[in-house]
Amino acid sequence: MIKVENLNKSFDGVQVLKDINVQYEPGKCNMIIGASGSGKTVLLKNLIGLLEPDSGDICYGDKKLSEMSYYEKKSLRQRIGILFQGSALFDFATVLENVMFPMDFFTDWSVSEKKERARYFLDKVHVTGSDDKYPNELSGGMQKRVGIARAIALNPQYLFCDEPNSGLDPYTSILIDRLISDLTKEFNMTTVVNTHDMNSILEMGDKIGFIYKGSMLWQGDKNTILNTDCQELRDFVCSNTLARNIIEGRG
Amino acid sequence: MLKKSIEAVGRYFLFLKMVFRKPEKWSIFWRQFIKETDKLIMSSILIVGVISVFIGGVLVIQTASNLENPIIDKMYIGYMVRESLILEFCSTMVALILAGKMGSNIASEIGSMRITEQIDAMDMMGINSAGFLVLPKVVSVTLLSPLLMLMSFALGLLGGWLVVDVTQIIPTASYITGIKSFWNGFYVFYGGFKMSLFCFMIASIAAFNGYYAHGGSLGVGHSSTKSIVITSILILMSDLIVTQLMLY
Repeated sequence: MIKVENLNKSFDGVQVLKDINVQYEPGKCNMIIGASGSGKTVLLKNLIGLLEPDSGDICYGDKKLSEMSYYEKKSLRQRIGILFQGSALFDFATVLENVMFPMDFFTDWSVSEKKERARYFLDKVHVTGSDDKYPNELSGGMQKRVGIARAIALNPQYLFCDEPNSGLDPYTSILIDRLISDLTKEFNMTTVVNTHDMNSILEMGDKIGFIYKGSMLWQGDKNTILNTDCQELRDFVCSNTLARNIIEGRG
Repeated sequence: MLKKSIEAVGRYFLFLKMVFRKPEKWSIFWRQFIKETDKLIMSSILIVGVISVFIGGVLVIQTASNLENPIIDKMYIGYMVRESLILEFCSTMVALILAGKMGSNIASEIGSMRITEQIDAMDMMGINSAGFLVLPKVVSVTLLSPLLMLMSFALGLLGGWLVVDVTQIIPTASYITGIKSFWNGFYVFYGGFKMSLFCFMIASIAAFNGYYAHGGSLGVGHSSTKSIVITSILILMSDLIVTQLMLY
């Protein structure tokens, strides 16, 4: 479980996150939603330790991130998988080498064991026959899937996804959403997904937190989001035609 | 401006601290070391070789044209070419050339990894990205660049000999006698030390600029240019200091 308490973050005097309190539970797809510039990515970067909060705590289990030593953080990071917005696959490595990369560092498995495991996860994300291709030879959707395979290659406890559907067509987006959702349940990971895509929210949102101008205005799930009284959230939701039709009874 | 410069120097040393952390796995370090040696050192052999041959030839012609006094033995032309090569050209001039070639290569490679979040991905895996990406480069160029200097020296002398042999600007025997005269082994150490120091600066400063690149592809280009300018100035400044310290 990840617990965020009274988190604040500002840049050059502009407060980007205001008093955020939220809990992310294992086995669930926890969504951070909000419009562009609302503070979603800043929250995600605070969660994974790429940014340091001005005040407040982030706890992994019962341990505060701010009180962890360099080696504790390093050990925690080995239990974290991340899918970056642009996939962040290593240009210098093939698909198979990308997935094997964390194994090279943190396991003593033989090369054949690592290859077997990498192929297992590539198979899980439906990428086969591309072992020797380089990232620039793959489509955006394929890159995302390889990114997911690399993120879960060491069975992480926590999975963070930063806008997993950006730049993808609707069909591939749904495939990626389902993949993340299925893997979360299969491996009982605490998954945190940062998105503004309503289809993803309705597809995966086991738990949803809506950020508006840096504040967590609303928390709920995909079943309650369409009946919300929060006007800012309604405006956000109604920007999607499907969701607007459902709310207005035309769905 | 001054505050920013001081901050940058501080960040550079903190960056070096990260780079020189013990590698996660030595086997991975050595694998990267071989790759970087191939990419940075082996791929520089051609450009350094070609330039050295031509500069050796030019030095012979220039020195000969300035020493036309009949009372000065022609063998001094070979001697002066050798000393110019070992003392300055093969270390400082070659380092300035490498600052462009290696420096832009390192800064743009690491910079583009930064802006495409590949470095963040490594950090988030719990890998010391600075150590993994930069340490093998720095160690490789620092340890092996003196070999480039020696090669440049040999090819510079060869270039001089070719010009002497083809043009007969001075007798070949005088040139050979000159390059064998008054040999001071310390100069080889001095040249090798300078080359190591300069290449350490090239790799570490370019990596530093690439590692903290921001602002998309423009930022990568800026970091590459910045690293070449800074390194070139520092090479010339430290050349002066090292020469003063080692030769006087």
